[in-house]
Amino acid sequence: MRLSRGIVALALFFVAMAAAPLFLGDYPLAILILVLFAAYLGQAWNIMMGFAGLLSLGHALYYGLGAYLSAALFAHYGISPWLGMLAGIAAAVATGSAVGALSFRFRVGGVYFALLTIAFSEFTRILFDHLHWFGSSSGLFLPVTGRAGADLVSLRGPTVMFYYLLLAATAAVLLLSRILLDRRIGYYWRAIREDEEAAQASGIDVFRYKLAAVALSAGLTAIAGVFHAFYYNNLYPETIFAMGRSIELMLPAIIGGLGTLFGPILGAFVLVGISEGLTSLTAGLGIDGLKQLLYGLVLGLVVTLQPGGLWPWIALRLGLRGAMR
Amino acid sequence: MATHKPQTLSRRRVLHAAAVGGIVLGSPAVLRLARAAEPLKIGVLLPRSGFFATAGQACQRGCDLAAQILNAQGYSVQLMNADFESSADIARTQAEKLIREGANILIGCFESGATNAMAQVCEQRGIPCIVNIGADPKITEQGYKFLFRNFPTSPMLVTNGLKAMGDLFAASGTTPKTAVLMHANDTFGQSMLGAITALGPKVGLPFTIVDTIAYDPKARDLSIEVTKAKAAHADLHMVVTRSTDAILMIREMVKQKYEPMGIVSPGSPGMYDGQFFKTLGKYSDYCITNIAWMNPKQELENMLAAEYAKAYPNEDYELNIGFSFEAILIAADAHKRAGATASSALVEALRATNIGKRVMIGGAIKFDEKGQNVDQAVAAVQNRDGKAVVILPTDVAVTKPVFPMPGWQQRT
Repeated sequence: MRLSRGIVALALFFVAMAAAPLFLGDYPLAILILVLFAAYLGQAWNIMMGFAGLLSLGHALYYGLGAYLSAALFAHYGISPWLGMLAGIAAAVATGSAVGALSFRFRVGGVYFALLTIAFSEFTRILFDHLHWFGSSSGLFLPVTGRAGADLVSLRGPTVMFYYLLLAATAAVLLLSRILLDRRIGYYWRAIREDEEAAQASGIDVFRYKLAAVALSAGLTAIAGVFHAFYYNNLYPETIFAMGRSIELMLPAIIGGLGTLFGPILGAFVLVGISEGLTSLTAGLGIDGLKQLLYGLVLGLVVTLQPGGLWPWIALRLGLRGAMR
Repeated sequence: MATHKPQTLSRRRVLHAAAVGGIVLGSPAVLRLARAAEPLKIGVLLPRSGFFATAGQACQRGCDLAAQILNAQGYSVQLMNADFESSADIARTQAEKLIREGANILIGCFESGATNAMAQVCEQRGIPCIVNIGADPKITEQGYKFLFRNFPTSPMLVTNGLKAMGDLFAASGTTPKTAVLMHANDTFGQSMLGAITALGPKVGLPFTIVDTIAYDPKARDLSIEVTKAKAAHADLHMVVTRSTDAILMIREMVKQKYEPMGIVSPGSPGMYDGQFFKTLGKYSDYCITNIAWMNPKQELENMLAAEYAKAYPNEDYELNIGFSFEAILIAADAHKRAGATASSALVEALRATNIGKRVMIGGAIKFDEKGQNVDQAVAAVQNRDGKAVVILPTDVAVTKPVFPMPGWQQRT
């Protein structure tokens, strides 16, 4: 009964989100797109950290690979972004697997694994600064079109098209996470997260399942990169592979609740909501940087009061036990 | 209870009807005049916080003063300010927000990624935008129909900057034979390097670039790069700096006693920043930047300089101020000529822009079919006694160039 209540609430949420463009203008829709980007990416990152306990501080690497490969293939050869997406996913999975294999083979774990992910991300940023095929540090541009028609094949179209694509992707990754958590792999991941040695002693192939978490998380992150490239139409290594992006990408899951299903989505709403709310509140004051200061304070407060994230706390009060995972 | 008189057609009623009819038929002209009285709402999108905050705040000061000065001169503008926090993602949502809140035109954004984000929103919404600062040539190569840029592209900056070097050598009677180029390895640095490499031979540089040294503009130490530059034994030290990296570079040059004939930038920020003067003191002197600069011989510039000194006595007066002022001027001028705030009328007026009385050095502000002002001149600006002053071209110069520069130990 409780589980069905959660499902009904979730269904209502997605119905409301699907209906939103009918009532909202371009500005609120642009804000919701930021929410969906954050929610999707938070869920992708959550698979690695929340489910398998692997801290990645360099997820911008996979995001950038997806963005750059699909955009460059489209810009240079007119290859559909969906095919480019496959190339981006393949590159991100291969890179993620290489980083993971190196670390897990040589037993680089915890904070050292996190440092390694930063190193690879920074290394790739510097590399892309010098790759002319990707526009080097001068940036890679995609042709801009008006917002009249939606061309799904070429991912050229109005804001609302990207909104629905991201909404579908967010729902899909939520469903995927739910399915995986109920499968053997989900149990193995949580066993590894809680106690890696005990998991290994129980006969779990730790190397294999950790690698699977990295590969899946990297591949999913690359998909968001593709949407970014075709939504924003310009890419610069210094912003796509930026350390700041990796941090932004983690925040929804941390604020919403690590390892939970709905936490990253809630976290995305909270983060973007606070950010936009503070922008509006501080706009009239004319004090530059005040917004960032308040944003930091609010985040600090949230993390201090609810270190486990907001969703477990809310779900407990709503009696949504099943949805707490 | 109201009673109704039967309606009869009298001469007075006919005249009354004719008068009303005349007003109705003439209403487009009346409405047009009424619309002209509407102030132009300008959405100013700048990075007032985050990585580019210093430049963004400088641009904002230029815009604020422009609104104040131009409104006093009979223009009618109203600023709607937004901070995009040095993030292109936020620039897009802020551009949408400004348009939603009624901005008739957008101005920004100092940073290329954000400028492109703003341009895309404007293109999709059919709202004109003016780029105040932004040298990336790709911005005007995207086929945007609503974008106008007053700032020179990096090839324009470099071509004019390199040509100005020839003028400098001719004026000083000293021509270096070799040069070493140190450049920041970022979007701006790379586009400048590409332009120098491509355009150097075309403008007939009198010297050979013997080495090119790239560095991370966020680096904390440039000792290795400066050692490498010194080892090249070049006559001239050419630089493409960004901001604090210029300070690090000069400090290291003083430390390593590296004394080339001169330190010249063919068009980059850094060496005319207030922080550069404050931190380096006497060592900041004699560095030369060939850059678009304010014209001290223009009346409007004198007015801006005086108002700026009054309003912001402790802030630097540099090109971000001038170009941001001009961006507002261009919008206000188009609005005045269009007599309307409608997008189509503004775009049409912007295309016909021809502003001779301006702030920056150069010909009249006019836009080509891509929306680029192609007649943006470059001046040679030399640091003298802790201030950037125009030394070339001679018609706008306030003093003569000093080249070769005195050695580090010869300064008092």
